[in-house]
Amino acid sequence: MYATADMLLTNAQAPAAEQTHETAIEVVLVKAVLEGDRDGFTRLYDLYAPLVHGILLARVPRAEVDDLVQDIFLHAYKKLHTLRDSSLFGPWIAMIARNRAVDFHRRKHETVEINDELRGSNTQDSRATEILELIRNLPEAYRETLVLRLVEGMTGPEIAARTGLTAPSVRVNLHRGMKLLREQLGFMEGL
Amino acid sequence: MKDDYLWDKTGEPDPQIQQLEEILGTLRYQPKPLEIPEDLPVSRRKNYFPWLAIAAALLIAILAGGIWLSTRSRNEAPERQAEVTPQAPAPVEEKSPLPAESKTPERKPDSRKEVIAVNRHRPKVATPVLSKHEREEALMAKEQVMVALRLTTEKLSLVHKKTQNTNPANQIRNQHRVG
Repeated sequence: MYATADMLLTNAQAPAAEQTHETAIEVVLVKAVLEGDRDGFTRLYDLYAPLVHGILLARVPRAEVDDLVQDIFLHAYKKLHTLRDSSLFGPWIAMIARNRAVDFHRRKHETVEINDELRGSNTQDSRATEILELIRNLPEAYRETLVLRLVEGMTGPEIAARTGLTAPSVRVNLHRGMKLLREQLGFMEGL
Repeated sequence: MKDDYLWDKTGEPDPQIQQLEEILGTLRYQPKPLEIPEDLPVSRRKNYFPWLAIAAALLIAILAGGIWLSTRSRNEAPERQAEVTPQAPAPVEEKSPLPAESKTPERKPDSRKEVIAVNRHRPKVATPVLSKHEREEALMAKEQVMVALRLTTEKLSLVHKKTQNTNPANQIRNQHRVG
């Protein structure tokens, strides 16, 4: 049985203290970078690279993701002074990542997805690619949240804190997305 | 509860979700160092405060100057006093048995002594004090302007007459040319 929407909405407020702590770190780091501390930006990168990686993985070919992550952080480094509220670094860089993914598809890169033969005979990896493809075909609202949860291993509250989405909406997206994914996986063997 | 496991990895684990995590975990982000080029400028927040302060100081200076100029010009040219004379009371007509000839002529109210309304907003023109020579020159110039105006008026009336006397037949005759 899945939780109803009301149940999901009432239980989503718990990790407020954790969110506040992370926000405080962001504020300190952004301030340090704006005062010329490059190491501060490396810390921000370590904190937020999984988020950006997950957002891109839900949208662009796997082979392009690592280069795009680097590009996005360099762009953020140059434009950090335009961020008005330092506590919103996460939602800000998430938005940059989403926009960059849209730009990627607009430019229509000639990309070739590496098939199993080229990648090697790793069945675990090929199955992962298949499931990722299923997730990419889900509605956009569920894609990102599921990848961040199942691929990057982030919890629901972490996803909410870093993307700037509200905890209830993340919770709803997770459960509805998971329900759709289970339906899709019903047609796959071995799961 | 299984839903808690999906939400925050607490509670009873869902085997299907665990299996998915295991498979998809191979695609997880592998930490790589960020290479920031040395020549990449450090992002700094622009400080607009000095420029704002300068702009504010300039604005205040301009405003103060404007106020000073307006008060100065007001002091230099005193307001023209409105000449106010009490209006002559309307003559009371008395019915007298005397004939009309013997009546005193009806006194017209003197229009020159009416209240003169002075428009305060009208630009104040200081009456210049002229010497005798300057006064003569001004009068001669005035005469010349009057003559020029008269000539222009005459010419305009002549043109007007000519245009009035044009033959309408010609217009009809030339209508095909006009179309």
